[in-house]
Parts: sequence; C-alpha cells; structure tokens
Amino acid sequence: MISTMIKKTLAVLAVSGGAFAMSSAPVLAEYPEKPVTMVIPLGAGGSHDLNARIITSVIPQYLNQAMIVRLTPGAGGQKGTQEVARSPADGYTLLFSHNYMDMLQQYVDDLPYDPMADFIPIARINYAPASIVVRADSPYETFEDLVADARARPGELDLGHSGNWGAFFVPAAQIMRELDLNLNLIPYPGGGPAMQALLSGDSDFTMAFPSSLGELLKAGDVRILASASEERIFDDVPTLTELGIEGDIGYMHRFVLAPTGTPPEVVETLQAAFAELVVDETFIRLMGTLGESIDPMSGEEYQVLREQQSVTYKELVDALTTE
Amino acid sequence: MIEQFIEGFGMAMRLDTMVMMSIGLFAGMLVGSLPGFTTLMAMAILLPISFFLDPLVGIPFLLGIYKGGIFGGSVPAILLSMPGTGAAVATSRDGYKLTQKGKSRKALDMALFSSVFGDTCSDIFTIMMIFPIAFLVMQFGPPELFAVLLMSLIIIAATSGANPLKSLIMMALGLWLSFIGTDPLGGSERFTFGLFELKSGIPLLPMLIGLFALPEVASVVIRNDGARKLSALVGERLKFAEFRRCFKTICRSTVIGTMVGIVPGLGQIVAAMMGYSAAKNASDHPETFGEGEIEGVAAAEAANNAVNGPTMVPLLTLGIPGDNVTAILLGAFVAQGLRPGPQLFEEQGATVFAILVAMVIANLLFLVIGYLSVPFFSKLVTVKTSILIPLVIMFAFAGTYVYRSDPVDLLMLVAFGIFGIIAKAGRFDVMPLVMGFILGPSMEYAFGQTMAMSGGNAMGFFVTERFGALGVLIAAPIIGFMLWRRLYGAARTI
Repeated sequence: MISTMIKKTLAVLAVSGGAFAMSSAPVLAEYPEKPVTMVIPLGAGGSHDLNARIITSVIPQYLNQAMIVRLTPGAGGQKGTQEVARSPADGYTLLFSHNYMDMLQQYVDDLPYDPMADFIPIARINYAPASIVVRADSPYETFEDLVADARARPGELDLGHSGNWGAFFVPAAQIMRELDLNLNLIPYPGGGPAMQALLSGDSDFTMAFPSSLGELLKAGDVRILASASEERIFDDVPTLTELGIEGDIGYMHRFVLAPTGTPPEVVETLQAAFAELVVDETFIRLMGTLGESIDPMSGEEYQVLREQQSVTYKELVDALTTE
Repeated sequence: MIEQFIEGFGMAMRLDTMVMMSIGLFAGMLVGSLPGFTTLMAMAILLPISFFLDPLVGIPFLLGIYKGGIFGGSVPAILLSMPGTGAAVATSRDGYKLTQKGKSRKALDMALFSSVFGDTCSDIFTIMMIFPIAFLVMQFGPPELFAVLLMSLIIIAATSGANPLKSLIMMALGLWLSFIGTDPLGGSERFTFGLFELKSGIPLLPMLIGLFALPEVASVVIRNDGARKLSALVGERLKFAEFRRCFKTICRSTVIGTMVGIVPGLGQIVAAMMGYSAAKNASDHPETFGEGEIEGVAAAEAANNAVNGPTMVPLLTLGIPGDNVTAILLGAFVAQGLRPGPQLFEEQGATVFAILVAMVIANLLFLVIGYLSVPFFSKLVTVKTSILIPLVIMFAFAGTYVYRSDPVDLLMLVAFGIFGIIAKAGRFDVMPLVMGFILGPSMEYAFGQTMAMSGGNAMGFFVTERFGALGVLIAAPIIGFMLWRRLYGAARTI
C-alpha cells in the first residue's frame, strides 16, 4: 500500500522533467485519457533506458498525457515483449525495442509471441551504428589489414563483443559471412567490459557505438577501421558500404511498437506525437548531450526494414547454426 | 594536479550542492529501506532531473541517492531480517539477532558509522590513487574474475558453518538454482521444464525475502506470544568504546572492500561476505558471529561500502561503465557536457575533483542525516507483535510484487519461505545457497569466456598465459581448508 503510493509518486516525478517544459495543454481528446506506459524489455541504465527517459520527459506536451517507462527485463527481452503482446491493443501499452530482439530472436529461440504478427511499428527514433575498433598500437592500420590477417590465421583473431546474438555479435557474424572469415567471437557482459578487454589486450578488436568512442579516440587509445553508416561519421574512416559490405548491417535501430489491432486513430495520434517529438528543441538538445543521434522514420517505412530483416536474419541464423 | 584539486575543492563548497545532495541522500535512504525498490530504479527515474541542474548539483544529487540507498537497504535487513539486496545479506545475519536482543539502535548506529567510515576511506584512497587503480583494473580479465569468484565461494563455504558438507550441499543447490533459465552465454534453456515463467531465471528478491524474512516470521508465530513485542526495547545508542573495539575490524573490512572494488565484476556482495568471513576468522570468539555480534555488522557494512570508490575509476579514467549504477552516472556526466575518458582530467580536472570531493562530503552529510533518522527507524520494532507480524508479511509480499509486477514471484516467495523454514529446522544455513545463487551466473559467464579465449583448452591456457589466475585457483582450496580448520577444527569440535 505504502509501496504503491511511493511508486506512484516516483512515476509522477518521472514525468516532472517534461513538466518543466510543458506549455498550456489543450482540451483532452478521446485518446489518450490516461498515462501511456512504454515498456522497455531491458535493464535499468542501458542506452534504451536513457533514450526512453528523454523521450518520456519531452513527449507529454505533444501527447497531452504522461508517458511512463516500465522496465521489464528478463529472458533476453522476451518477458517485456510478451507483456506488451498480451496487453490490450488500446495504445496505452507500447514497447521500446531494437531490431535484434524484434526480428532475430524468433529464429534462435521459441518465443511465446509472433513478433511480426503481434506488433506494428509506430516510429523509429534513431539508430546506433557499430564501428570496428582496434587499439592504437594494433598492427592493423586498415580494415583490409585486419581481413588479410584473419584469412592468414583462421580462428585465431579474438573479437570481443557485447553478448551472443546482440548488437555487435550479429554484425560481426554478418561480416564474417560476407567475407568468408573465421574469427573467435568472445562474449562480454555488455559493451563496456568488451571495450575494457580490448584496451587491456585480451581481444584483438571489438565493436562500439560512436557515443562510447569519442573520448578514447581523442586520447589516441583506439583506432577505428570501419563504421556502419550511410555517410562517414569519422572523416578518415570508411563506411562498411565503401568496403563492399552493403545492406542493413551494423545498425541497431531503436523504435516503438504497439500491439497489432491498435485502432488506426490511436496509431495516428501516437505517430503525430512522435513526429513532433523528434523536431522538439529540448529533445534535440538532450539527445545531443547524450551523444545519441535522431534519425526518425515513420512506422510504415520501418515496417519495410523489418520485413527485410526477417529474411536476412533467418538466412544468417540458418547458416550459423548448421555450420 | 594539486592546483586542480584545490580548485575543485572550492567548487564543491556550495550551498545548493549540499542541499540537493542531502535531498538525494534522504530520498535514497527511504527508497532503499523499502523492500522491492532498488536505488538503481530511483536513480534511473530521477536522472532526467539532473539534466536540468548544474553539473555540480545534479551529479552529487544522484551520488546522494546511491549512497543513501545502500544504507537504506541494511535497515530492513537489521530490523526485520529482510535484506532487499544481496549486499545486505551479511549484515542481516548479526543485525537481526541484535534486534531480537533489543539492541536494534546499536546495530543501526554501527551500520551507519562503519558504512560512512568504509566509504569515506575508500573515496579518499580512490582520489589519491586513481591512476594506479586504473592500471590495476586493466589486469583483470575473465580468467582472473573466474578464479577470484571461485575462491570467494570456497571461503564462504569454509567459514559459514562447522559442517562443511552441509555448506557445500547448500551452495551446490544455490548454483543449480542459478542455472535455471536461459544460459547466459549460449542462450539455450535449462531446467525450465518448458515453463515461460522460468525462462528468465529465478528472481533474487523473492528468494532473499522468502529465505530470510519468512522463517523469522514463522518462528515468532510458532512461539505464539503475540501479546509480547518482537523486542520491547530499541536499546541504547552505540557507545564510543564499542566503536573502538570494532575499529580494527572496520579498517580490515575497508581494505578488503576497496580491493574487491578494484576487481571489475565482483561488487558489494562479495565484499560484504569477505569482510565478514575475515572478521570472524580474526576474532578470538568466532562462535559469537551469527549470534548477534556487533562486530559482524561492522565488518559487513564497512566492506560493502568501501567498494564504491574504486568502482568509479573505470568510468572516470576510461569512460567505461562497469555496472548499471555507473552507466546511469555516465549518462548524467555526458548530459552535462563532461565526457568521462582519458582526457577528462586534463580538460575538466577541477570539475572531476569537485565531484570526488562532493562524494566525501556526501558521506559526512549522511552521518548527520542517518544519525538523526536511526531513532525513527528503530521504533518500528517496538510495535506490538500482533501488529508488526502482519505488517512484515505485507511488506514481504508487496515488496516482492512491486519489484517486477509479476504474480509468479509471489509463488516463488512462498516456496522459498517454506524451504527456509525447513532448512532452519534442519540446521542448514541458507547463506551459502544465496551466495552460490548470486555468484553462480558471473562465475559461469567468466568460465565460458575463458574457454572461448583459450580455444577450448582452459587448463593449458591458465598454465601458459594466466599465472595470476592460476595462483588464485591453486591457493583457493588451501586457504579455504585453513580457514575452516582454524574456525571449526579439532580444538573447537561441536
């Protein structure tokens, strides 16, 4: 009882950040008439959590309702995803997910839901592009050096990544397949420990997102050999596309899903709110300070990507598990 | 460096910093003392507020929540035998016995003083030795982590009871329970019997409350003297002489906690258990540990708080967050335009030192806030048993439910409660079980990584490349046996 009261108080505090910036709210429309919950199927303090805290701080002024973050980690994201899949399709329970959990997991595990049939995309917020990183004292000056050595010594180069079937494992496996390489993939519990392993010399190379690279790069501790992105993020670093590795490889998309069957007018209201959110000045400033980009994409556009992912990930998993 | 420190010291001396830090400390203490709420949740929720504050107000505010929350967690552990986090398990052992003896106020005071002492010393040590610590941190990879975790488990099993077989059985059971769910490396399901509810594994909180709090409730109910109070007295405050008697233990635990903090991936739970085991081993009267020995509270609390300083080092020097708490702090730093990393000290040295100084000041402020709050907390146990017991049961169930809002957790709570009552009747200590359960997954992960790094030949890998880890692996059983013999050997047969 006391606990629930405290929980409510905390929830109110959660949106108070947004309340600072809230202007006069117009008369309430039919939806939303109560706060909207955004479920994150991942743990506290991760990049999804931080992104969501900013989204939910700013979006209330466009949705005319509070948006509350609920963290439901467990079973590699399946717990939270299942929770939303089973929620009523009324627009009051949304899911903040990423593409590996959304479209790849179905091929490596038996899911208690069907991601394609049970969810529709509302909006993509941004993506995090993976870069291939080596220590500054590494013998590899270019991506080609790395590939040449990996070919010369198959299975001997250690690549530290952030966990099996995760945001760095999948692109690594995709690149290995594209170039027909054999690397020794070593999992670490998260991107931080994987980077630490690179710096201490335990692994030969790793992957990282730009938001966690800036300072190490400036200090001259690491060198970037390639990065996934449409245009160059670092002036002197080629993109994967330039190196002949094309397609949706190395991008971790962050997007919002709703249960299938959500009424069209509710979807429209939500999409309109997200469309206004991504051009909001406070939102842009806060995301900028976190080092995150804003690359909005409508639900319809993102659905096209999802359908492509479901095909390419199936091929990848089939190839990896039959080897 | 010295100039930056002095400049930073001046920057931290601000009234608004102190006020927000005090608010954070108080809020953290309240949240931490409610079972089911974690300081991590409170920090994540309040993080956006810090974005709108000055860096030297916002970050100390978050640090305050963190520090307050750790002490808050030991309040229900001492008063109700209800540890909300793994870090408070060792504290509850002697803390609750002291409460039963009517000395809850003393136990809380000791927890407060040793926490603040351990934390302050480790913070100061961290400020002075930040670069050597950063170097040391890099020496620990998965093989070393595996070796140290294995040694920790052996020491816990060896020191937790006279019958090492019983301890080992419980620990093996704990390890097995930790295997239930999705395999952390490969992602395959283990021992889930096809139940989705078990796929994410057994949650820690229902286990802790079920094993530690419910058996105590049951024993009060079975004694059936409802009219009496759980403890009529809250007792006196801590005397200086008592603090001085435990001072050596507090210092030892502070050193142990700081060392544990340097090893990435170990954390407060291991520190508390190691500090407790070491104090028991060094004591002239180890049999009093577990029976309401105030030194036990001091040992556990000083150690688990001393972890905090060094865990900040990878974040500040490399920009790498080692756990979720430091990940949130990284978010707060970055949002303020401070980008932790190798150059942070060169570019923003004064601000970083100001934040480190604020950490030390937070400890001193907390001494005052905590000291004033202890009398209110300790009053709780003077409530009549017929009212207190239903309250405790409500807290146990509500806390478990609030944690993940999953009704299955309530079934787990009851199951662990029943198991705890049976174990207590059979004189099986549940501590090794809990430690096996908590440390099992990290150890398994580190083992899997070691196997991957060595290409399948882990033994050869240890012998040819990882001498440090090999040394720890060889020493662990010897240390374990020596500790056991000293504590329970021939001279002390029971």
